[in-house]
Amino acid sequence: MTLPPLFLRAIEESGFSAWLRGSESPFAFYFVLLFHTFGLALLVGANAVIDLRLLGIEREIPLMPLKRLFGIMWVGFAINAASGVLLLVAYPTKALTNPVFYIKLVLIAIAVWMMRKLKTQVFGDSSSSEAAMMARGRSLAKWSLALWIGAISAGRLLAYTYTYLIFPC
Amino acid sequence: MNLAHLHLLLNHIPIIGAIIGLGLLVVSLATKSDDLHRASLTVLAAIALLSLPAFFSGVGAQGAIRKDTAVPASLVERHEGSAILALFVMEVTGALALVGLWRRHRLSKAGHSSLSLAAVLFFSLVTAGLMARVGSTGGDIRHPEIRVGQDLSAETGLSAVVSVFEPSPVKFTDLMLLSKWWWAFMMDMHFIGLALLIGTVGVLDLRMLGFLKQVPVAPLHRLMPWAMAGFGVNTLTGILAFIGMPTYYTFDVAFWLKMLTLLLLGLNAAAFYLSDAFQSVEHLGAGEDAPPLAKFFAASSLVLWFAVIALGRYIQSYTDTIPVQ
Repeated sequence: MTLPPLFLRAIEESGFSAWLRGSESPFAFYFVLLFHTFGLALLVGANAVIDLRLLGIEREIPLMPLKRLFGIMWVGFAINAASGVLLLVAYPTKALTNPVFYIKLVLIAIAVWMMRKLKTQVFGDSSSSEAAMMARGRSLAKWSLALWIGAISAGRLLAYTYTYLIFPC
Repeated sequence: MNLAHLHLLLNHIPIIGAIIGLGLLVVSLATKSDDLHRASLTVLAAIALLSLPAFFSGVGAQGAIRKDTAVPASLVERHEGSAILALFVMEVTGALALVGLWRRHRLSKAGHSSLSLAAVLFFSLVTAGLMARVGSTGGDIRHPEIRVGQDLSAETGLSAVVSVFEPSPVKFTDLMLLSKWWWAFMMDMHFIGLALLIGTVGVLDLRMLGFLKQVPVAPLHRLMPWAMAGFGVNTLTGILAFIGMPTYYTFDVAFWLKMLTLLLLGLNAAAFYLSDAFQSVEHLGAGEDAPPLAKFFAASSLVLWFAVIALGRYIQSYTDTIPVQ
């Protein structure tokens, strides 16, 4: 059996990683986890509303003012990038030895790229008509929804597909 | 106060509530009273929400009664099976009531579809009947004076028919745990439902608070069926997860605080729609500011929903924080 890279054990043996994993404090692991879910709600929730609108749901919602929601998405993304790093510090072997983790990162990377394209291509020109915005945004919105559902699903699967919870001794 | 107390406190609500809801509905149809009709649908939706903790507290009461050897376990199981069936039908009734309230709101003058009306009437009638059976099977557990001279192992008449549809709680639990992929799928749906729910409710709340002020309120409010779809998915997956691991959730402080927060959200929604807060924002156009009362309900909705997320995440670390009696 080949062991995972040793640097994973070094991370786990650090005081901070051990504290995140093992502390009884409600402000340790589960605190980070709940922020990861807050971030998900902000990022995917706001994204979903724009996607649904671009796909033709509730056409009476004016599109251009929804541009402000991108700010909320970036706040959600920042929360999840930070809390994601902390979760990784707590269980590095669990995540980095699981292929699903890399799938999740790729899905998020493409979804964030779609999010930027949505903002520049659909919301970039404030003189665009709604019809033009919807025409440009339609396939982006479909991809965006599918990618975020995929990213959430991959994230959920991390709890069921890992090989090592911590570094094997 | 323990979970057995809580069960006794809550378990009459679905029974009496379903009957009151049904009664109001029938009277509203007989008198053609629109206000009563609205009241009956509101009652049914509220009872559907309150039935959740009533059901969930049953496992705690079961833990307390298990030590009493004079109570046959088969009686408890029969009660739980009837409660599972009644709960599912109650939740369908609640969902139909919300659909009815929504249609009423959207088509206010156009009248209501007789099909959706018939559906609510039928389901609330079935719910009331099933809840009565839950009450009587529950009564059999703790009131030996009722079962004197009766052979409870043989169901007769209508109860024999109903009992065919009642699942065995143990088998239902096993079914939920059969595959970890099924469990993973349910949890996945719970998170996707969460994103849909928080996204749509959150955007409406933020508009009332003044963040997307250029968007009129009415079309954002029309996103609420999407929020309710997310809530429906999460109620269903939540109930199924509870049936899969009843003792995991029952003896968990975070779980009960999450349920309490959900009830507060129900109260918040009821206060928002029944006070003049909703009317005051319903027709707000681009750039118009919401009055303070509506802002208050929007803020409390946001805070409570994020509390629900937080408490949900703490469930895993607060298992066994409530002692089994």
